[in-house]
Amino acid sequence: MEFAAEEGQSFSPDCPALLLPALSIGNVGQFATDLLISSVRAKRVGYLDEPSVLPCVGNDAFAPVPQGDLSLSLEAYESALHGLTLIQQRSPVIKGMMISFARNMADFIHSIGKNHVLILSSLDSGRRKRIDASSNMQIYYLSSVSDDGSNQDCENLGWKKLDKYDPCQRRWKYLESLAGGASPDDEELITDEEEFTESDYYASLPFSALFTCLKAKGLKVTCLLCYCSEGDNISDSFQLAHATCKLLGLNPEKFHGNEGGGWMIPLSWKSVYGPPPDMTLF
Amino acid sequence: MDDVLTETPPPSRFFDEDLDNFATAPPPLPSPFLLLNPNPKLNLLVVAISPLSRSLVHHLPSKILIGSLFLPEIPLSGNPLLPSANSKSFNLYSAGSQNTCLASVQYTVSPERSRAVAKCLIESVSADQVVIFDCIKSQNYRGRIEVDETLAFKLETKQQRLDGGSLRVNGVDYLPSGSVMDGLGAAILTKCQMKGIKGTLLATWPENGGFEVLKMVFKELGFDVSGIEGEFTKVNSHSDLDLYT
Repeated sequence: MEFAAEEGQSFSPDCPALLLPALSIGNVGQFATDLLISSVRAKRVGYLDEPSVLPCVGNDAFAPVPQGDLSLSLEAYESALHGLTLIQQRSPVIKGMMISFARNMADFIHSIGKNHVLILSSLDSGRRKRIDASSNMQIYYLSSVSDDGSNQDCENLGWKKLDKYDPCQRRWKYLESLAGGASPDDEELITDEEEFTESDYYASLPFSALFTCLKAKGLKVTCLLCYCSEGDNISDSFQLAHATCKLLGLNPEKFHGNEGGGWMIPLSWKSVYGPPPDMTLF
Repeated sequence: MDDVLTETPPPSRFFDEDLDNFATAPPPLPSPFLLLNPNPKLNLLVVAISPLSRSLVHHLPSKILIGSLFLPEIPLSGNPLLPSANSKSFNLYSAGSQNTCLASVQYTVSPERSRAVAKCLIESVSADQVVIFDCIKSQNYRGRIEVDETLAFKLETKQQRLDGGSLRVNGVDYLPSGSVMDGLGAAILTKCQMKGIKGTLLATWPENGGFEVLKMVFKELGFDVSGIEGEFTKVNSHSDLDLYT
């Protein structure tokens, strides 16, 4: 993974926490990262170029009036005021290269000396076996501070540990060996669909690869997860961003944005789901 | 009516295999390579990716073939010995001044290979400025887009915006925020941004539209387009070339 810093910019030692999205249903992690970059007025530190990420370019996603400031598929931002570094990913990982991506990302984050990594992602509501009235608002987490993934700080915030995490389960163990440098050819992976369990499914998601690879580097990692369905996932992103602020001790009311609660809506969200329907049809 | 179960999802949505850590990785492929003779220091590299820009390059007079970029997985069978508008090739020409290079991308570069091709091109051809001609894809454009409407937008690297200079693409708006460009054009512009090279990507819509804009920009870049008149009604897309191997 190559890094090119913006002129005069470098990663600040005053930003011990790093936040990055994991690709998922509804793109919720990416939306939440956009919302946080916009709301904390983070400045771009530089660009990342990673062989496993498909290239994409666009105009400035945040400025009120875009002036042609180029956006790339992987960018790093920082807000020293809030002690936060953010990495945004705007395009998919090449199919079959998620482990490679996670390894390279973990190597990079380890090299810039961050203490705590927060991974934002979402889970498919269609996979849930039990649903209650408040379940869609529930935040789930996974933490590297204990072997079973639990973290008292997260429990105190009313979050639930992802009960599908079982480090002794075959796919989680397989992920751990891959994160440690094993080649996929060295390990046997059960591919019989009849033996495919729920735990297998959650271990196959991108957040799991990032969590495992970052943990293998000795970093403190916390995954923040929410269940959602495919559709308009803006509200889900608010929920995840709000949870992130609670964990980091940030108060969105002090962001002084253009939206209720202090949030600053990114400019690119105006067209995120395409243009409105053509009313001349009616 | 499209089958909603099998219809390709919008680009921001994923198939299950896109989110699978254990999906089979693509087989490793040999790196692209470029043969270039001579290998001068260039002022300008023009990369024609869109079918209309490739046709314009083909019709430019007084250009000399100086090199070719090869993708090992693209077969050369069926290509004529001399450069042709129908060949599966990625040829480089000197044209206009000695310090200008034209590249015509006449085969399809997959999104997965775009970065490798861009890296090969930019690291082999040393140019002060790069201009890329590409097409807008409807699935990547977030505004309303009509098939009979001609659109042209640009994206520039930071170095290009700051330095400007006489070879700036003027009279074209920036791509609206929220829309993106992907593929080889995006990969080349990314490489330019990372390396601090002045770079511009000009994106037009539809695939066979925007001739007057392209002609205007080529003229601004110093090419003699006075003898090239009228729209190209028959545009050779890459899919047509696949029929003849």
